[in-house]
Amino acid sequence: MNCEEYRQAITADPSESFADGAAHAAGCAGCSRYRDGMRALDRRIAAALAIDVPPPGIPDLPPVAEESGNVVKFPGGRSGKGWAPLWLGVAAGLGVAAFVGFGLLSTEPSGATLAEQVIAHMDYEQASREVTSVSVPERELHEVIDSRVSAMDTGIGLVTYAQSCVINGNTVPHLVIQGESGPVTLILLPDERIDEPIPMSGEHVHGVIVPVGRGSVAIIGERAGQLDEIDEIGQRIVESVEWQI
Amino acid sequence: MRNSGAVTRRRRRFDEVVGVFHTDLYRYAAWLSRDPGVAEVVVQETLLRAWKSLDSLKEDGAARQWLLTIVRRENARYFERKAPETVDIDELTPGQSAMVAQEDDPSLEDLRKAILRLQEEYREPLVLQVLMGYSTREIADLMGIKPGAVLTRLHRARLKLKGLIDEDAAA
Repeated sequence: MNCEEYRQAITADPSESFADGAAHAAGCAGCSRYRDGMRALDRRIAAALAIDVPPPGIPDLPPVAEESGNVVKFPGGRSGKGWAPLWLGVAAGLGVAAFVGFGLLSTEPSGATLAEQVIAHMDYEQASREVTSVSVPERELHEVIDSRVSAMDTGIGLVTYAQSCVINGNTVPHLVIQGESGPVTLILLPDERIDEPIPMSGEHVHGVIVPVGRGSVAIIGERAGQLDEIDEIGQRIVESVEWQI
Repeated sequence: MRNSGAVTRRRRRFDEVVGVFHTDLYRYAAWLSRDPGVAEVVVQETLLRAWKSLDSLKEDGAARQWLLTIVRRENARYFERKAPETVDIDELTPGQSAMVAQEDDPSLEDLRKAILRLQEEYREPLVLQVLMGYSTREIADLMGIKPGAVLTRLHRARLKLKGLIDEDAAA
């Protein structure tokens, strides 16, 4: 190691953790002084970086799914708690096949698929997806979900819309929660059994219908940028939703 | 609330594993964002995220790295949501002025200003190495860059700082 190499290395790492550094400095007074100068600079940098810290303020910690007290065993068994990011499938081309407008599963007499009906319903109730901080009263939320859902993680976000709606001939809960990146629609479908998640990717919607036990849940965001958030919400839904018997 | 024992255990684990790192989280967030007010918001978001995903932390010994990764991500999210203001980097905001003028050695004020003026790609690895004591490999993993790139940035960071300090001293 020559002096130039040593000085370059010591400037990046004054602790001299690199090989042959100590040996070089021991034999070179100039580099030894250079190293001491860098270390003195680092001591001052460390002191400068150690700024005052305000007292810790732990935020209100919301209950997590297992604490919500809403979990009841589902008689038909769960579809499984394993959750993998869904968007790999979309990228691999699965999303094209499931694009709204192509029929794949559970066709009702009109010919519309489940995914198409979900999207059509969302278009019909566009006002449900406003950005707001006004939550639905708990009594109203329970009126909508209790007859179809026996358990659900209600800590997934601020619920700002809750209505009973008809999808594929069945009355189901339609909720909207305020996610970090925008409103996220949840349509709980206890009567719709599916085997695999159905990604939905279109011009204005990005979401998925996921199997949950004997039924399924549609989770839809407005923008592609919400995919991470939809995955997170989806995982919590899969792990917590229990259907009424 | 059902299963109150589990709630208590979770909260205890959170306090023991996460709460102890508040100082590190705040300082990292402050130097990353260059704003103490933003740092407080980012740390709050980090603590919430850590609480929600505490089960994903398999080894308590990895908590600090895990938390700093969340801080990094929350800082990026914060600035994605906020439209960046065009500011003169030589002119400090009130928050930055408070950050710079601490009640310790006044001669450190110029050095803090110089650190604030460093670009983030140089400032961040310097904070992680000098303040957090991270190795080159650990910094590379956290920042998602190669160890060689970390060393290059650290080298440039120190030379730039020396240059800024010498420039201020000459002025």
